[in-house]
Amino acid sequence: MDVLAGLMHGFALALQPANLLWCFVGCALGTIVGIMPGLGPPATIAMLLPLTFLMNPASAMIMLAGIYYGAKYGGSTTSILLNVPGESASIVTCLDGYQMAKKGRAGAALGIAAIASFVAGTVGVLGLMFIAPPLARFALAFSSPEYFALMSLGLAMVVLLAGHSIVKALLAMLVGLWISSIGTDLFSSTSRFTFGRMELLSGIDFVVVAIGVFALGEVLGNLEAIEKSQLLPVPKGLRNLLPTVQDLKDSRFAFANGSIVGFLVGVLPGGGSTIASFISYGIEKAVSKRPEQFGHGVVEGVAAPEGANNSETGGALVPLLTLGIPGSGTTAILLAALVLWGFKPGPLFISENPSLFWSLVASMYIGNLMLLVLNLPLVPLFAQVLRTPAYVLYPVIFGVSMVGVYSVSGSVFDIGLLAGFGLLGYGMRKLDFPSAPLILGLVLGGALERALRQSLMMSEGSLSILVARPISAVMLSLAVLVLLMPVFSRINAWRQKLLS
Amino acid sequence: MAPKIAFLIGLTLAGTAFAQGFKPTRPIEVVVHTGPGGGSDLLARSVVAIIEKEKLLPVRMQVVNKPGGGGTVAASYLAEKAGEPHTIGFFTGVWLTGPLTSAEAKVTLRDLTPIARLVLEPALIAVKADAPFKSLSDFTSAAKEKPGQLKQSGGSVTSRDNVVRQLLQRASGGRWVFISFPGGGERIAALLGGHVNMMVIEPAEAGEHIRAGNMRVLAQVSDRRLAAFPNVPTLKEAGFDVPAVPQVRGVVAPPGIPAANVAYWEDVFRKLTRTASWKKYLEDNQFEDGYQNAAELAKFYDDFTGTMRGILQEAGVKIVR
Repeated sequence: MDVLAGLMHGFALALQPANLLWCFVGCALGTIVGIMPGLGPPATIAMLLPLTFLMNPASAMIMLAGIYYGAKYGGSTTSILLNVPGESASIVTCLDGYQMAKKGRAGAALGIAAIASFVAGTVGVLGLMFIAPPLARFALAFSSPEYFALMSLGLAMVVLLAGHSIVKALLAMLVGLWISSIGTDLFSSTSRFTFGRMELLSGIDFVVVAIGVFALGEVLGNLEAIEKSQLLPVPKGLRNLLPTVQDLKDSRFAFANGSIVGFLVGVLPGGGSTIASFISYGIEKAVSKRPEQFGHGVVEGVAAPEGANNSETGGALVPLLTLGIPGSGTTAILLAALVLWGFKPGPLFISENPSLFWSLVASMYIGNLMLLVLNLPLVPLFAQVLRTPAYVLYPVIFGVSMVGVYSVSGSVFDIGLLAGFGLLGYGMRKLDFPSAPLILGLVLGGALERALRQSLMMSEGSLSILVARPISAVMLSLAVLVLLMPVFSRINAWRQKLLS
Repeated sequence: MAPKIAFLIGLTLAGTAFAQGFKPTRPIEVVVHTGPGGGSDLLARSVVAIIEKEKLLPVRMQVVNKPGGGGTVAASYLAEKAGEPHTIGFFTGVWLTGPLTSAEAKVTLRDLTPIARLVLEPALIAVKADAPFKSLSDFTSAAKEKPGQLKQSGGSVTSRDNVVRQLLQRASGGRWVFISFPGGGERIAALLGGHVNMMVIEPAEAGEHIRAGNMRVLAQVSDRRLAAFPNVPTLKEAGFDVPAVPQVRGVVAPPGIPAANVAYWEDVFRKLTRTASWKKYLEDNQFEDGYQNAAELAKFYDDFTGTMRGILQEAGVKIVR
């Protein structure tokens, strides 16, 4: 079936009232799940799985996929308003989103997040539709050395996340890398840094660290200045709440960057939306004309990562639907769902189930549109949250953080960890250490270590495997270039001084 | 309504016959050691769906996820619930092998009350379709000629994948590298991308890759040939006299519950394994019916733990108990 005919057929199915309804249910549920910190799409989809046995598989798939990409829309809400990342993929959104909110531009940040999500989400579906099969073969060319290079490129972004001091940023990243090594080692089953606690055997979930360091650290820091603190400014009127034409202009490159990076990283089975969002943020800052303003509330710093984590959804469905290979927790459950409904996901899936595939693709166009329409009117409503006085808002952030962490693991131990990381975040803030590099190290550390050790096992201990393979060599060179960026800019400044 | 009442009466009668009056009165808490969507979680949710559909229990069941520590967190949680009649848990072989290598694990499967073994997951030994190996001995001889050159992708070092490798290495004298990947998808991608040469894969995962002509199966890790793979030799038929290590799943209860409760649960799960829905579930996932009652399961623990301890020790994994 050629693409156009397939898509027409898909729209005919997806536009049936029942499927429209399920698409809406999925998108709405996804938005809610995304807004709530902790509870994520994998848990939601797994819990709804028994219900889907009663549904027609196409409707069920449309609904579950709606939860998956809908959550990406909602995830930015608490990042921007409360500095509490709703999903792991929205951690980067905290950096500029929350700063925008503090400047009274919460509405613009929420609006641009929704628009970026819509643009990139749609690009992701286009990619899924047109270039899925060749791209899946490209994804298979990626193995451990390439992942090592990708993770190194991600870690090199630390120089872009650094505030005033590169040394402090590197130190924070090292702490993050160390935290990522806590738990049972996959290769030898040895416990590392568990201090005899079985709760630490599976490591520390980075949602706990991110919420602790960002949200609790922020609240503790603000408590000191409580007598001075005023309500955050929230402009009145719908027009002042939505992004301006200038915001959209500033975000033009971020839309493209987020869409492409998110999709490409999503296609890789070992990628993931968190990495995609970090990399697109780094690229955005690297090419920006005003890099010094990143981290102080620039609109493209919200648009790029939010776009990337939405476009990643379309990318992640590529290996799932064309090869039957799940790349993330959520796609693994979607795979299990397909099996339970009696399908056989694999290389022949699309050609043997064209109706299901095309109705899913069509529903994703519809769903993204629904989410935009659903989310934009909510912006003014959500922005009102910031009118809440601090003595109400801060306890609410504490409560939301604890419920969020507890809902992930159901473990009181993790709440203790959350408190500990809150204090760490407070200490880092007092000593002027940036917290984003810590999260970056933690997110990438595990994958980086695994990829390096797998590569060395493949090459019987020779490091040359990392540079002998072309994709890996290119990405490692890019990583070195990124690391050298501060040096370049210093040389540049020096030359300009000489010239003038 | 009438059949429901008749059913309830029937159930009460059955209950008295088997369990001298134990009947759950509150919702049952079903503990699993993975997050939502993990293997145990999906099995538990499917079992709950079937039990509700077939009305095998008078109360509802609620799946509770206690992830962490390769099963040790869930096992400890069950141990804390000693004597609690409304809690059960789903275990896997990891609950037996995990404590062998981690000193942090305070509770082992043997501290809990066995109820029933439900599922055995067989496996296949697969290579990429364009690989030169036509049989398992082709592979092992190549591994013997060039030791350490061939690679296998798999899970953790205590996983069944590695145990099968250890057994085959010992039987054939070949030696190849085992590379751990945390996700099943990554293991398959590494094989299909040509980055590793072989993997131990579950039949349901492999089926479509074989049909699409991307993968070839050399042998099955099973005592008898699976219905879906009638032409693939078992390990023994392929000339390797090694035990077919199963991936096992079943049900346990907290310690210190009365014998009547054990009998009640045994009965529920025996009835479950006889339903058509259960048989279809096994067939869809290409699992084997591994039903054993409580007494048989307790004996299985000991045999399995003993075998695994020996194999892991030989593989150079540090054993702490």
